[in-house]
Amino acid sequence: MKLRVVHACLLLVPLSVFIGFAQKPGGTAGKPQQRATSSSRAPSTDEGGLVFKANCSRCHAAPMSFTPRTTGTVIMHMRVRATLSQQDEQALLTFIAP
Amino acid sequence: MLLLRQTVKYQYLSIVLLGLMASGRLTSQNASDSELTAGHVPMISGGAGYIYNVNGGVPTLEPQINPVLVFPFGQHVLLESRTDFTGFFQRENQTSGPYKGKVFKTVEYAQLDWLANTHVMAVAGKYLLPFGLYNERLEPIWIRNLQDSPLTATIGTRTSGAGDGLMLRGVVTQTANLTTQYSAYFSARSGIKQLESARTAGGDLSVFFPRPRFEIGASWQRFLQGHRVNNSATYVSWQPAAAKVDIKAEYDYSYYGHGYWLESAYRLDYPSLPKLFRKVQAVGRIQELFPLNGGGNGLPPIRTERVDFGVNYYLRDDLRLLSSYGRSLSSAQNANVWNLGFTYRFMIPLWFGGKR
Ligand code: HEC
Repeated sequence: MKLRVVHACLLLVPLSVFIGFAQKPGGTAGKPQQRATSSSRAPSTDEGGLVFKANCSRCHAAPMSFTPRTTGTVIMHMRVRATLSQQDEQALLTFIAP
Repeated sequence: MLLLRQTVKYQYLSIVLLGLMASGRLTSQNASDSELTAGHVPMISGGAGYIYNVNGGVPTLEPQINPVLVFPFGQHVLLESRTDFTGFFQRENQTSGPYKGKVFKTVEYAQLDWLANTHVMAVAGKYLLPFGLYNERLEPIWIRNLQDSPLTATIGTRTSGAGDGLMLRGVVTQTANLTTQYSAYFSARSGIKQLESARTAGGDLSVFFPRPRFEIGASWQRFLQGHRVNNSATYVSWQPAAAKVDIKAEYDYSYYGHGYWLESAYRLDYPSLPKLFRKVQAVGRIQELFPLNGGGNGLPPIRTERVDFGVNYYLRDDLRLLSSYGRSLSSAQNANVWNLGFTYRFMIPLWFGGKR
């Protein structure tokens, strides 16, 4: 009985992948906003955008807004935590705060 | 008297929590448009939350605040530290009577980072042990999708989750298709209050493929005090771009036991759905632990299985409501575990310090 429960739950993973792929994701995970901006720049497909999309939801929900004064601090912090390259750091800074 | 003191502490914690939430909003609103370049101002970030947990019929109230100080000195040196304040309040007779408890304070890490270049970042001080996916990456209250740690969480993280000493980490190679990352550390034994750590040496190697957003890695540790043992972990993490799924799995092995956990979290964030559903995250996790040599050292002494389901609701990207149900199964006892609560991530720039 116990193992049945566990194995039934194993089904959960392929099922959620299936449901995930079956849905069409719309509105690409856009560019995070620096807080208090009114300007909304078009979602960028440049290097920084790719680094952001690939990396910033690896461990936690990607933050969608930044306090401008601390953006550099956060990226530096995450560079250590997520072992990002210097190039990644520069690309992220250009992407979030051009 | 003790009860009164604890109640006051508890109320104090709640007030600080609410204050933090308010100040987070205020700072964000006060930032002006003229500040739109990336600043390197020191900040206090972190998580706060409140969890109502019922394990086998016994309720526990767990208010928490984990402030993180992040203090850059230029663009190559960073001071970071996290302190955890967690309250555990249980009823006097477990299921009846008034709530009594304590707030525990722990300095979880306090480290100085030198970001020398892409290949080498040197860390000195008390740092989180880079073992598997959980300890370094997923442990903060606002990050973990399910509030209860995996059964294997103590493998490779004894005795305090942190090491005292030196760690090197960095990127070995990076191309458009993959990044290889490493970390290697040595930790000394310490019994100093708030700096407790064990004598260990270890490391982690992982490869991340940014296009499929897939990572595979392995950690290894040699525990160098008392009974010397090896610990190892292998893990995968995958966030396919075409789906809103986050899949993570890990297998851990140690002298005291081995086991795995597998978690999938699914965000219903599709424009075709009503707004209410788009903020929902459904989570499932299964785990099994097989003790070896009698278990212990944080591992259960008998084979244990556990299943958890959770539904989280993201009010904002930094504020979410949590609910989960879990069932723990072993030959000694089957128990239901419920969690209900909220978590909040805050970031408060410190008023001093300049912009780049
Ligand atoms: C390897 C896992 C990992 C990755 C990848 C990652 N983060 Fe984090 N992030 C964390 C952890 C863990 C914390 C909490 C730090 C703590 O409590 O010590 C955090 C904290 C934060 C915070 C809160 C402020 C702070 O610095 O503490 C922000 C904002 C943030 N991350 C943004 C990002 C962005 C942007 C990216 C993409 C570049 C990113 N994260 C990638 C693990 C990660």
